[in-house]
Amino acid sequence: MSAVPDLEISLPARPENVAIVRHVLGGVGDALGVDPGVLADVRLAISEACANVVVHAYPGDQEGLLDVTVTTTPGCLEIAVRDQGRGMAPRTDSPGLGVGLPLIASLAETLELTNAPHGGTEVRMTFAYEDPHRHSGGLHAAPSPEETA
Amino acid sequence: MASDLGAPEPLRVDRTRVTVASGPLVGPVLSRVVGIHAARAQLPVDRLNDAVLIADALAARAPAYAAEDRLPVSIQSTPGRLEVRVGPMRPGGAARVLEGAALPEVGSVIERLADTVKTRQGAGGDEYLVVRLGTGFGP
Repeated sequence: MSAVPDLEISLPARPENVAIVRHVLGGVGDALGVDPGVLADVRLAISEACANVVVHAYPGDQEGLLDVTVTTTPGCLEIAVRDQGRGMAPRTDSPGLGVGLPLIASLAETLELTNAPHGGTEVRMTFAYEDPHRHSGGLHAAPSPEETA
Repeated sequence: MASDLGAPEPLRVDRTRVTVASGPLVGPVLSRVVGIHAARAQLPVDRLNDAVLIADALAARAPAYAAEDRLPVSIQSTPGRLEVRVGPMRPGGAARVLEGAALPEVGSVIERLADTVKTRQGAGGDEYLVVRLGTGFGP
């Protein structure tokens, strides 16, 4: 997928800002008519990915950004969570339980982890959902023959 | 060793940058981000409602005048203050957004609800609409 994102959010990587991302994704889900159960999975997975940025990306008191992009196609949400921090590396002093990525993997259809070329980490996830607009001329519906004539 | 007790905490600025494609996502996204920042700015409840109404008005009007087919918005909050900066927009876009949000006998909803509304010029003639709630902003 990876077309031009429909939504980009960039904000300081602080614990309180994970709530903004969750809240915004709720709005995206409402606008697209995503099933509440799927939306709960999306929000949980994204919360984990954002929490990873807050906890691991920027050591010490270093300030940094949390970037989230959302790309929509009919029946599919692709969400990428990025930082510009130190990238993926083993951490013997990790404060977490190490269940974040397995949890994301179990919730998302696909999960891709990459080290960005200029530093930082990207977690890219896709989620499938039943598109309620598919047969009703909604957000992603193809134009009808009358419209294209 | 000097104690930190009583030392003023550094002012923490919260800033969120959002770029959203014109369409059905603009309203839900903008109202939520602005609502959260208004709450963080500890604006009174009536002013929080004003902030969300402004966000809804911007979401309804601003995409038509965005410089591209995506609307960039920057939301910044500090205690008692909220700033929403929309743009870049096409030349004249800021005035059109304000005019488009006018109601009979009320005028522009955005200008009535905000404490200050300004238009800033950007490079290449682009415009930014800056809407502020609260007091004590710089120029």
